[in-house]
Amino acid sequence: MAIKVRIPTPLQKLTNGNAEVECSAKNVSELLDAIEKDYPGMKDRLSEDGRVRRFINIYVNEEDIRFMEKEATVLKDGDTISIVPAIAGGEF
Amino acid sequence: MRIAEYRDRLMLMLKIKKNDLQVLFDHCLAGYPNEACGMLGGKNGMVEKVYCMTNAKPGPDYYEMDAEEQFRVMKSIRESGLEMIGLFHSHPHGQAYPSKVDVNQAYWPGTELPNYPDAVYVIATLMDRAKPVARGFSIEEGKVTEVPVVVAES
Repeated sequence: MAIKVRIPTPLQKLTNGNAEVECSAKNVSELLDAIEKDYPGMKDRLSEDGRVRRFINIYVNEEDIRFMEKEATVLKDGDTISIVPAIAGGEF
Repeated sequence: MRIAEYRDRLMLMLKIKKNDLQVLFDHCLAGYPNEACGMLGGKNGMVEKVYCMTNAKPGPDYYEMDAEEQFRVMKSIRESGLEMIGLFHSHPHGQAYPSKVDVNQAYWPGTELPNYPDAVYVIATLMDRAKPVARGFSIEEGKVTEVPVVVAES
């Protein structure tokens, strides 16, 4: 199963400079493990205790996984996953 | 610093048309007393389009972009052949300078790796609502550097 994963700039150091990698996984949770296997260190950057870290948006074909089944979101062949850091800030 | 980097840094500025800056200010004023936010699409340091966006967690001292809107706008910028050269938000009651939270949020969680190293963070202060002021900043590994916002007549 081929799943494309778009890697954000700050994590590209861990993927040998690649902005896009390929993986095989049945759901987002498995994807985190699969990416970790190929690119050690990625899982910790992306998650804590199996949950995607706050301020990290993960989209499956443009849909935010928060509106699907989060880490349990099912993936299929040909899906594109985008990992995009949230944009936020404050006054203090 | 190498000569090339030094030269690039000297030339770093964000150019924006007067009308576009007004669109930015109007959006910030409309959000008052809460923070407002948006993106700037353009090329070679020149803003070509201002994207006024929703503050999904509105407060007088906080903003957070709606995740799905963020994706749509970033995609729209790309498909227009532009780049996301700026990210703007307002400080309704504070200085036009990146706060601790602004700087923290510019980095990947738990690191000092910038999320959007090529974007100029533009902050508009509304301390004087009759005269909003915008300043630009580059937020890179541990450093905040001002980037002049140059207004072009139009």
